[in-house]
Amino acid sequence: MADSNPTLVNLTIEGRPVSVPTGTTILEAARHAGILVPHYCYHPALPIAGVCRMCLVEVEKAPKLAPSCATTVAEGQVVHVHSDKAAEARTGVLEMLLINHPLDCPICDQSGECELQDYTYQEGRAEGRLRDPKRFNPVEDFGGDVMYTPNRCILCTRCVRFMDDVAHDPVLNVSERGDRALIGKFEGKDLTHPWAGNVIDLCPVGALLSKDSLNKARSWELDRTASVCPNCSQGCNMIIETRDNTVVRLRPRANHEVNQYFMCDHGRLSYRWMNRQDRLDVPMVRSGAALTGTDWELAIAEAARLLSGKRAFVLASPMLSNEALFLLSELVRGTGGTGSYRVPHGEEAPLAGVEDLARRADRAANGRGAELLGFTRSDAPLGALQAGDVLVVADEELAGVDAPDIAKASAIVVIGTTLPPWARHLAAVVLPVANFTEEEGTFTNLRGRVQRFMQAKAAPGFARPSWYVLSDLLAAMGGETGFVLASDVFAELARSRAEFAGLSYDTLGLKGRLIAGAAAPAGAGT
Amino acid sequence: MGYPHTPHARETTVLSKYFGDREAITLEGWKKRGGYAALKTALGMAPGDIVSVVKDSGLRGRGGAGFPTGVKWSFMKPGDGKPHYLCCNADESEPGTFKDREIMRWTPHALIEGCAIGSYAIGAETCYIYIRGEFTEPLVRVESALKECYAGGILGTNAMGSGKTINIYVHRGAGAYICGEETALMNSIEGRRGNPRIKPPFPAVSGVFAQPTTINNVETLAAVPHIINNGAAWYKQWMRPDNPKSTGTKLYSVCGNIQKPGNYEVPMGFPFKDFLYDLCGGPPPGRKFKAIIPGGISVPIQTVEEAEASLMDYEGFVAQGTMLGSGGVIVIDDAQNLVKQIARAARFFAHESCAQCTQCREGTAWTTRILERIVAGDGTPEDLDTLLDIGENMTGKTICVLSDSCATPVASGIKKFRADFEALIKKKKHHLVPAVA
Amino acid sequence: MSEANRERSTSSDGRDRPMAPPEGAQPIPGIFRAPGEEGGVHAPAHAPHGDAGHGHPPYEPVFTPGSKRRNELDEVLTRYPTKMAALLPALWMVQHERGWVSDAAMAEVADVLELTPAYVKGVVTFYTMYHQHPVGRHFIQVCTTSPCNVCGAEDVVEALLKHTGCFELGQMSPDGKYTVIEVECLGACGFATPVMINEDFIESVTPDGIPAILAGLE
Repeated sequence: MADSNPTLVNLTIEGRPVSVPTGTTILEAARHAGILVPHYCYHPALPIAGVCRMCLVEVEKAPKLAPSCATTVAEGQVVHVHSDKAAEARTGVLEMLLINHPLDCPICDQSGECELQDYTYQEGRAEGRLRDPKRFNPVEDFGGDVMYTPNRCILCTRCVRFMDDVAHDPVLNVSERGDRALIGKFEGKDLTHPWAGNVIDLCPVGALLSKDSLNKARSWELDRTASVCPNCSQGCNMIIETRDNTVVRLRPRANHEVNQYFMCDHGRLSYRWMNRQDRLDVPMVRSGAALTGTDWELAIAEAARLLSGKRAFVLASPMLSNEALFLLSELVRGTGGTGSYRVPHGEEAPLAGVEDLARRADRAANGRGAELLGFTRSDAPLGALQAGDVLVVADEELAGVDAPDIAKASAIVVIGTTLPPWARHLAAVVLPVANFTEEEGTFTNLRGRVQRFMQAKAAPGFARPSWYVLSDLLAAMGGETGFVLASDVFAELARSRAEFAGLSYDTLGLKGRLIAGAAAPAGAGT
Repeated sequence: MGYPHTPHARETTVLSKYFGDREAITLEGWKKRGGYAALKTALGMAPGDIVSVVKDSGLRGRGGAGFPTGVKWSFMKPGDGKPHYLCCNADESEPGTFKDREIMRWTPHALIEGCAIGSYAIGAETCYIYIRGEFTEPLVRVESALKECYAGGILGTNAMGSGKTINIYVHRGAGAYICGEETALMNSIEGRRGNPRIKPPFPAVSGVFAQPTTINNVETLAAVPHIINNGAAWYKQWMRPDNPKSTGTKLYSVCGNIQKPGNYEVPMGFPFKDFLYDLCGGPPPGRKFKAIIPGGISVPIQTVEEAEASLMDYEGFVAQGTMLGSGGVIVIDDAQNLVKQIARAARFFAHESCAQCTQCREGTAWTTRILERIVAGDGTPEDLDTLLDIGENMTGKTICVLSDSCATPVASGIKKFRADFEALIKKKKHHLVPAVA
Repeated sequence: MSEANRERSTSSDGRDRPMAPPEGAQPIPGIFRAPGEEGGVHAPAHAPHGDAGHGHPPYEPVFTPGSKRRNELDEVLTRYPTKMAALLPALWMVQHERGWVSDAAMAEVADVLELTPAYVKGVVTFYTMYHQHPVGRHFIQVCTTSPCNVCGAEDVVEALLKHTGCFELGQMSPDGKYTVIEVECLGACGFATPVMINEDFIESVTPDGIPAILAGLE
């Protein structure tokens, strides 16, 4: 422990020896030692404020309690987080925070994930001593997805510091003085910044809440699943929160290589499509003018029959996982066919205060994966379709595509989550698959980071994971036996494609890894 | 006492000599009275030597903290290549204190000369005089005096022909007591909300505009020219033989229920009893003193016994259960409702809290509400314990000491005048349904 | 904080701040969503915003290039290494020209100093001397902190309210001549009770002396 390294400082926190680099704060040093110092205003992504006063710790031989978020470690310090003095100070802060608080947990969305509840339960007073009227301010609409309930606000100023220093859009302020203070904005200048919704996560209490989520679910009813945002090529890590097999809310998950602690508002609020009810839930085969439901074996067999001896022209969605795209590329290779994809794009919206973080122009999760797996990007994706090809449309709606363009195909196999309107008359086989919340897989983001997403809910009816369906199809066409696990598909991908060599679900973990020789993608857009 | 009276025979008028003298306000008049000789001398000295003299003199910050001025100046490292700043704290807002106002409106050049010497001593080319927004007369006087100085070659890029640059600007405040706190003052100069900063970093390392900065009170800086002119030993003549830690003279602002309110300048160690009864004339006719607060509203309240036993210097007041603070002597007689005045003091702090720290933001307002409820006859016995406990929570746990300052009159009031509180608290329990957290 | 929200707030007692102009002013429709409009939360529509409520003339900029105040501001800017540091001086200039600091004024100052309006508003609401509403022609501030309180400051306040015709603290008198507020320590405790009227600082005011003081105001 007693390192003679001059850049390391040795101290004791709650009896545990800790060695951290010079300049580390006591609070961070405690975190390294596995000790949580209760706090509100401190956040690792924000400049230090030191205003909530919750993090006061007792440092032996010092005359006053030290704010651990703002005090750097010193050699030989002995720090107590849970001594009587420090605990009393915290109890005092908690009581003060609650005296003007409306105590409306039963109707507050933050309930169950509220740090005020958590610490009060742990070490707050059982009863407050205020016998006087409470301060009252009405609820305000801050614009965007954000509503502000001043009565619950503990003035930690995380939201103000986020907008100032991370979003570089100082539209929030602290207004007034003393116990009249509250967070304010300027009339007419709303929280319309594309990343403003992060203040909702940052707010430790129910002061800043999502209007979209309002009153929808209690936090303890929600199941949480690690996932990756599919809406652009940044690949922000996120958590899918579900209840009763419905996606209720999305929240960012920390990943310092990708998105720090944040995700953009668009990604946050784009979850309704995950709950669409107009889903394909049964395999279908055309008989005459109509598509009729059938079982998987027959549907797969029919698709295989249509494909045999033909070239497969695969139009893949860049929202498909690496696993699905890999198997589709095998289909292309096996039939001597072509694979293409197109990516919707829009304006980039950076989060200025974080390096290399933006809502990307490429509005799909896995364009990079598609590119690596041999698909050709094109805005006219059916241009290379040749007469006689079997057109395999994988999870693409083909909006804006004319019927004559696809009439060249000898047959059309649709693999997807919903039935595109034209498929009703033109598809020969329809195979229902899970959407990305209903299966596990990986995406490759624009920087070549391969990241896992896990299954958050069950697919409807007979729909199956996309990779499962494709591996059955390949097997039916004479390939190896179908894969049973997604990890097996990924292992095969890693074995056969150089960029993915050495990667596995185990090594990817929940933070992902870069492909070999990762560099910015070639071609238009990022 | 200075304006509007002639000084009492037992006063030692160093800073207040020209209070009430209209001629002293102008540059010409000030020069006739020996003004700017000290600056001339100082500009011919090495800055380090000036710092030594001031250190030796024992001059301590007169704004309330009492930190040795020379030591504070020595924290400014010469030759670091960074612009240094001097800030003069003329935000005088501590209730009971009104000495800086007199210095500025009667002897603005005294302050300017002190600022100029101070700037030179700490290697600063720029000095901001932060005057509170309400001081309209001092603002006019000091601005006008500065104009005269620039026109007369005393300030600017060639101060008094020395080749040195000294620029002094007035920065007007806009109504915030907390901007008298040195780091809040710096934030206010920078155009921010007047929020105090966490220390470290200390102003001498990273102050206004993140550059090395020293902040001094008006009275402190006004004493500097006298020390340069007369030497450290001269300044040290005024001290108790057994207490060399407190030297020089102090301007005490006397107010409240007393015959002759006003500013009085006495040497360190002067007996407080004589001061109150002889110099200030004692209580109003038919009344008796009840409580004395010698250093502005933020220091503990004294009983009359404690006050009569006090010797007026930093250590002397500490020995009698209070502090010298800013030297704002607030006198309360037996016809007043002491609890009401303590409640009003708490309301003052609640108004002025900057709202950063939880204990201050909530605690000052909560304290005020309880006290006002007691004054209104709606108090309970538990309220006193609650007040003391809140005060404990507000002490030593915040970024600045406004929170501690609110707790002080309450705690000292309950401790020394508990009977007054209990008299207001009804014996029977009150009827309100208590709020439960 | 929006104007109406501050009026509803029970924490501010108006004793140290002028309140919104009296009843009878025409409200402007709020900026929040209309009832029933998609989007969920309906926050209460607030009363007037900007300057166009209450029959005030639209805001005239103070810092147009070449103007006297612009030149003054430019000189002040040379005193500091940052533009932000000229914020308090700029706000004083606006208040002296227009009598109060409106939202539009804050937006102009923000623009000239390259700050955001929200930031400027945060600063304006911190300092008590910047008026965020129009005030009476004679803005009267009376110190009632403890040292003056024991010398009868509250009687001075009562007398002022009576003689100015102001119904309550913070509210403009019906004839628009006066607004009276209580303030904290004015730094003239030995000259109790000090009263400020606009930029005039009057010492040793007693209830009896008030009619004469008011008579001297235009």
